[in-house]
Amino acid sequence: MRNLLNFLAKYNNLIIFLILEGIAFYLLGTGNSYHNSSMVKGVRGITRGLEQRIDNTRSYFRLREINQELASENVRLKNTIEQLTPKQGLLFFSVSDSDRHQQYRYTTARVIDNSVNRQKNFFTINKGINQGVSVDMAVISDDGVAGVIVGCSENYSVAMSLLNLDFRLSSRIRSNGFFGSLSWDGRDNSKAVLSEIPQHVPVSIGDTIETTGFSALFPEGIIVGTVSSVEKPGGDFYMIEVALKTDFRKLHYVNMIGNLMKTEQTELENSIQ
Amino acid sequence: MINSVLRYSLIFVLLILLQVLLFNNIEFSGFVNPYVYIMFILLLPFEIPSWLLLIISFFTGLIIDFFCGSPGMHASATLLAGFVRPHVLRVISPRDGYDPGSDPSMFIYGFTWFLLYTVIIVLIHHLALFYLEVFRFTDFFRTLLRVILSSLFSISFILLLEYARRGK
Repeated sequence: MRNLLNFLAKYNNLIIFLILEGIAFYLLGTGNSYHNSSMVKGVRGITRGLEQRIDNTRSYFRLREINQELASENVRLKNTIEQLTPKQGLLFFSVSDSDRHQQYRYTTARVIDNSVNRQKNFFTINKGINQGVSVDMAVISDDGVAGVIVGCSENYSVAMSLLNLDFRLSSRIRSNGFFGSLSWDGRDNSKAVLSEIPQHVPVSIGDTIETTGFSALFPEGIIVGTVSSVEKPGGDFYMIEVALKTDFRKLHYVNMIGNLMKTEQTELENSIQ
Repeated sequence: MINSVLRYSLIFVLLILLQVLLFNNIEFSGFVNPYVYIMFILLLPFEIPSWLLLIISFFTGLIIDFFCGSPGMHASATLLAGFVRPHVLRVISPRDGYDPGSDPSMFIYGFTWFLLYTVIIVLIHHLALFYLEVFRFTDFFRTLLRVILSSLFSISFILLLEYARRGK
């Protein structure tokens, strides 16, 4: 007993260090998966008030740019309305009307906290469960794919950015339809890597990469980026570098897309497996 | 005693705010992420008991983690920095030791001493932090480059802040 006490007295700092380091690693291991961590959500609630305030200041400096983005978006939407109205003769239809086979539902929100310089980037948006956002909704910017919602509180949601080592996206080459898996390699926040495209497929620089719609999260045909370089490493597949269309450093307004038929699709897929 | 607790609380709040409001928002090619809050661990007085130093380091890191949404990462790196600090101080101690009652400052122990002290602690902290963030050894040298570039910036800012601290 005496020896034990002596031992504890001699190494008490090392013991405290190891215990605290153990706690830190436990947090690191469980907390970063985000899905199961209520701690992160609770904690983000504490800091969110401050984040919102920082963002308010920041958005003030970007008003001109945002105006331009919105104006160009408006023009595009007006054009679409023009194309649609004479054909359908009807402008408004209910959001969840399965008669009309509406599959996707859009909501817009503002990014209040974002990072691009870590290896696992997340961003926070100012809408949550009360505004109809739910986990697994796709997030796109005006230009292209941005991420996926991984956690919601009442009025806020956290999305996993495409710039996250854990993010996978099924995408294809628009011109010939061959699909592969897109992920971020942690290097450049304007580039991602498309893998699993076999080497017999013609790929050229500048080809458009878009989503496939296989995952039931993203609708088909949303632009991801363009091919910026093609490499042939050993093996059967290309290493295709994709210049992302979304500029994550300027991510400010995003749209969330909910798939109204997602449960149907996943249930069917699961029942077969 | 109360006075110095107040002074350190003020330094603590200022450094956390500086980190969260300013340095976390620097997005320069993904390679440079200065973490200056570690300066708080550098500035704590020599006489602080090791166990208190460890607990303070842990919670400093944890608070930064709350703001970065990365539970445990900064806590474990800062804890490591707090753990090695007494050993580093012993190794680099000046010939006639440290004056009792003084705190680690550039103006008492000289620029070279403070620079060496800062470089060692910041490098240990950043190495732990960036490798924990990536959590794999592929791209080892790219992560090393990030560590070195970010450390350079952190060290420069800490030296500037140390000058500003005495300027007041």
